[in-house]
Amino acid sequence: MELLFQVLVSGILLGGLYALMALGLALVWGVLNIVNLSHGALIMLGAYVTYFLVTGAHIDPFAALPIAAAVLFAIGYLIQRGVLNLVIRGPMFNTLLITFGIEVVLTYLAQTWFSADFRTINPGYAGSNYTVGAITIPYVQVLVFVIAIGLTVAMWLLLLHTRTGRGIRAAAQNLVAARLYGVSPKSVYALTFGLGAALAGVAGGLYGTVSQINPYIGGPLTAKSFVIAIIGGLDNPLWVIVGGLFLGSIESLTALYIGSTYRDVASFGILVLILIVRPSGLLGRTT
Amino acid sequence: MHRFLFFFVSLFLTPAAWAQPVTFGASVQLTGPVANTGRYYKDAYEFAVEKINAAGGIKIGSAHQKIALKILDNQSDVNLSVRQYVQLLAQDKVNFLLGPFASNFVLADSSIAEKSRVPMVQGGGASDQIYSRGYQYIFGTLPAASNYFGSTIEAMTKLNPRPQTVALLYADDSFDVSVAKGTRELLKKAGLKTVIDERYSTNASDFSVLLSRIKSENADAVLVAGHETEVLNFIRQAKSLDVSPKLYSFTVGVPSADFRHALGKDANGASGMTAWLPSATLKDQWFGDAEEFARAWKTKFGYEPDYHAASGVATVEALVNAIQAAGSTDPQKVRDALAKVSFDSLYGRVAFDDKGQISLPQIMVQIQNDEVVPIYAGKDFINKLQYPLAPWSKR
Repeated sequence: MELLFQVLVSGILLGGLYALMALGLALVWGVLNIVNLSHGALIMLGAYVTYFLVTGAHIDPFAALPIAAAVLFAIGYLIQRGVLNLVIRGPMFNTLLITFGIEVVLTYLAQTWFSADFRTINPGYAGSNYTVGAITIPYVQVLVFVIAIGLTVAMWLLLLHTRTGRGIRAAAQNLVAARLYGVSPKSVYALTFGLGAALAGVAGGLYGTVSQINPYIGGPLTAKSFVIAIIGGLDNPLWVIVGGLFLGSIESLTALYIGSTYRDVASFGILVLILIVRPSGLLGRTT
Repeated sequence: MHRFLFFFVSLFLTPAAWAQPVTFGASVQLTGPVANTGRYYKDAYEFAVEKINAAGGIKIGSAHQKIALKILDNQSDVNLSVRQYVQLLAQDKVNFLLGPFASNFVLADSSIAEKSRVPMVQGGGASDQIYSRGYQYIFGTLPAASNYFGSTIEAMTKLNPRPQTVALLYADDSFDVSVAKGTRELLKKAGLKTVIDERYSTNASDFSVLLSRIKSENADAVLVAGHETEVLNFIRQAKSLDVSPKLYSFTVGVPSADFRHALGKDANGASGMTAWLPSATLKDQWFGDAEEFARAWKTKFGYEPDYHAASGVATVEALVNAIQAAGSTDPQKVRDALAKVSFDSLYGRVAFDDKGQISLPQIMVQIQNDEVVPIYAGKDFINKLQYPLAPWSKR
């Protein structure tokens, strides 16, 4: 029983990070109708930015997160303005190809600049933990979880209650009407993509504090984010949290009861099931 | 036209150019997820060829021939690496093949060597599967995967108090499955009780479930056969979940500088194994000895060599020795000479058994105070093992 609780706690904490990773992908997908295959590469870049701030400038990793977010926002904004905007009205396949290309370029640039060495963001307190009864709760993972949930809620409030957020939602819902009301799609799109990249940046910094960083971590992270976006849907960030927590728990329970090799079978199996049973998304809508 | 002129002039100016160089070809992981280890092989091949050429090259009969090297980047993609070996033989007309890194690559690529009847000497694949197919043209300088934990388990039986329960975790690729298969038998023979025997997916990043099980089953010793990224995650998560078995040992990472760098203090206490340590007692025809080699490597490439590097150099030396013994570059003759080579190198004694694999003992090592310390080899402890490991809070 203790084992089950421990595994559930780990799964839920992991799910929080998953949710944050997926949040940026879901946002960009929902508003720009682009499945950003370079999302994982942006997470990877965020991890490196945080890593270099921590090791180079000796900033605490959690204090470095806003800087990582700002850097990634700028990168995202420029990518959207300079590259993606050119094909924004093109068919889905073109945008898939172009984001795939961006992911390849970013990955190989990262290898050229940073080498394929494995790195970790490892502050002194990285491994500390609380013990509650027989359950061990890692301190950093809890912090990561809180930040992930906090950012998701902040995102939700931003979309719901600010002028910019309304602009973003309007552009997603009905572009023609939004333009009639004075929303400039160009700037809304760049802003949204920048926000998505900034979220990826924060997710990357957090990922580096609990896992390891190398130029090739992006691909699997994009895939995982995609599954969560499908589960959670694209219209409400809060559902993305639920999707993340759901996936984290399912993966952990699968590893416990069926076997560790079946983790990915479970997560992608869920993806296939949802696409068959509820193609519009399990919790929210995806189309 | 200019190129032609240049070609002719260079032909007449350099007497050695009369003799075509002997070309060694390899497809190595220079980019992609395995590039971190792949680079050892590129650097090893280039360094060895440079040294051997500087010493006059290969002596065939009374003539000296230089070695040329053709290295392609397989981007950590097995299918691409197979195509590249085909290309190396068919298009680039290389004379002999050097191997890629990792068992699953060697497993696929060695079929090209076998089919074309060109010997491949590889220092990157240890899986027993490579040598279980009756292939004639594959030779390897990594000792058998099934015995990677041999020295560790032997040491475990001599520890006081003796570990009672063992957890065996392994990734689902060719090398690690071979390791697990061999380890299972060794554990049985040693009379150690295995409480967890579990396979996980390659590139797994979350080990919280396995760690929680290790804690709840109270495993004294944990043996992990996997990849460096997985081991990094395993140790970090072990710390954050406060799982501290009395001993843990990993097939990869521990001897590499990069691994210790990534983990910092948290690397201390981790055990592993290596078939090679840079010792001055290992003499080498071209590099002096292993200690000198390690120093020269560090200066040249800016990072410390580990057994992958030494193993890579040994493959080049084995080929050169075999060509010299055969007195010819005929693939068949060199293949037969390879089966008979036996020489001392910076890597140790290089000789292949009838399946083509080297036999070297694994030295159990442990990271203590940020240094790799040899612990157990042959039949004895060389240094004291930190055992049982203190709980994380007391390290």
